[in-house]
Amino acid sequence: MNDTVITVENLRKTFAFGFFRRKVEAVRGISFEVRRGEIFGFLGPNGAGKTTTIKMLMGLIFPTSGKCELLGGRVTDLAAKRRLGFLPESPYFYDYLTGRELVDLAGRLFDLPAAVRRRRGDDLLERVGLSKAATIPLRKYSKGMLQRLGLAQALVNDPELVVLDEPMSGLDPIGRKEIRDLIVSLRAEGKTVFFSTHILSDAELICDRCAILVRGQLRDVGPLDQLLSPKLLHTEVVLECNGLKEAKRLAPDEDVDAVLRAALESGVKVVAVQPRYEHLEDLFYREVEAEKRAS
Amino acid sequence: MNRLGAIAYNTFREAMRSKLLYSIVLFACVLILSGLVLGQFVLNEQLRLTRDLGLGGISFFGVALAVFAGVSMVYKEIERKTVYALIPKPLHRWQFVVGKYLGMVLTLAVQMGLMAVVLCIALWLQGGAPDAPLCRAILLLFGQVAVIAAVAILFSTFSTPFLSGLFTVGVFIIGRYSNELHAVILAKLKESPELAKVLLYGSHVLPDLHLFFVSGGTVAGKTVSVNAGDYVNWTYVASASAYGLAYAGCVLALAIWSFSRRDFV
Repeated sequence: MNDTVITVENLRKTFAFGFFRRKVEAVRGISFEVRRGEIFGFLGPNGAGKTTTIKMLMGLIFPTSGKCELLGGRVTDLAAKRRLGFLPESPYFYDYLTGRELVDLAGRLFDLPAAVRRRRGDDLLERVGLSKAATIPLRKYSKGMLQRLGLAQALVNDPELVVLDEPMSGLDPIGRKEIRDLIVSLRAEGKTVFFSTHILSDAELICDRCAILVRGQLRDVGPLDQLLSPKLLHTEVVLECNGLKEAKRLAPDEDVDAVLRAALESGVKVVAVQPRYEHLEDLFYREVEAEKRAS
Repeated sequence: MNRLGAIAYNTFREAMRSKLLYSIVLFACVLILSGLVLGQFVLNEQLRLTRDLGLGGISFFGVALAVFAGVSMVYKEIERKTVYALIPKPLHRWQFVVGKYLGMVLTLAVQMGLMAVVLCIALWLQGGAPDAPLCRAILLLFGQVAVIAAVAILFSTFSTPFLSGLFTVGVFIIGRYSNELHAVILAKLKESPELAKVLLYGSHVLPDLHLFFVSGGTVAGKTVSVNAGDYVNWTYVASASAYGLAYAGCVLALAIWSFSRRDFV
């Protein structure tokens, strides 16, 4: 079985706007692969080209040049689309339908028999916590409910590959945790999850590998532990004296032991010692800054 | 086929849940039933008036519904981004366009069928009954509406509903008066027959909707009326329907071509 489920090679997209067809390069020759069974985070600030890339992968827009493949086939191949689930960014659905009707419509488009559609629809609505809202028209759904319904319709065909465009945007912390747990459970079921986000803490918690996109260019691709620098950034020491707390940031070359010893000898209480290594957020800022300097 | 059916059924369901479309159909039914009142002022011509008013109402409101629903049919899906969740499903873009058209034609058939039933009730209340010429006239009107629906969908793949509405109504008016247009071209361009020939050929790009509304006009040199015994026969209805089907097919092919090239930004 092919181990690569998404292949992107030198993908470019240029849009032409206005009367004079002013050209804007949204995606500038990016290449990466997504492997079977992993959670792949597609990270980047707003306007980096994440949604444009996902739209090209989903066949919603056509690349200016380059190649993208899904599950070993072209993005327009029905055989590949049958094994794919997709949640668009801030999903818009037919607001005259109920939740159950929408999932049923999605099932019809996958040619699922009526009994399978009914059973799977009920299971999925239960899984995303919308069982009680199944018969309510979508115009009465909140943003979080629509997001969860979008996930249900994306999973109706029991897909091998699930592509989620900003699945956590607009959700409260509880909603984000629920979506994170769902993504992790999809990986446990053997599915591959490709999702875009600009919420770095979410990506850091669940991604096996990630790609960082800045201004249409790929800055880095790989496992998080390889992308993040193992170098110690600093050590934070919190001390308490006469009820007053003070935090000290020690440079990597400073002797932490000596600072702690001196504190203890002078009767100061050591409340916390926290070595600080690079987080995804630091890496992200590092890449964005590097891109700014380069341009 | 299931996917086409799913899109068509969903389009039909949307129309059936639209209060605005219901209002238009209700208004058409009231107009048709007004023949009962107006008939009181016309001696011995009550049935004729009800039939003419009814057919006129079905024609006008059928076209109005086709234009109203058709011009936003595809545009709305792109603007509201509902298409984003559908295209990545195992669905060809042509299936989406054809499915939308079939759903719209089914909706129009139900709405026009409802108006036809109201017309029949109005006739029964006046002691008359629907006959074969009336059925043929209604079928021809449905052919006209199916052609207009395809034209509206074509425009909605690349234009705003307002402009699409203007274009579609323009096509309807020119198509409805195609005979007169041909006569004007021949009369005005006597001195340049080559130009007249080009214009005549060019005018065939627009639909000949005159074929579908023949009552009171001439067919093969003979005056025909839905109220007399000399109305067009079933062969004529079949050939006009075949023309309508072929024309709608060509227009849909253009709509598919336009929709298939679009980036959904």
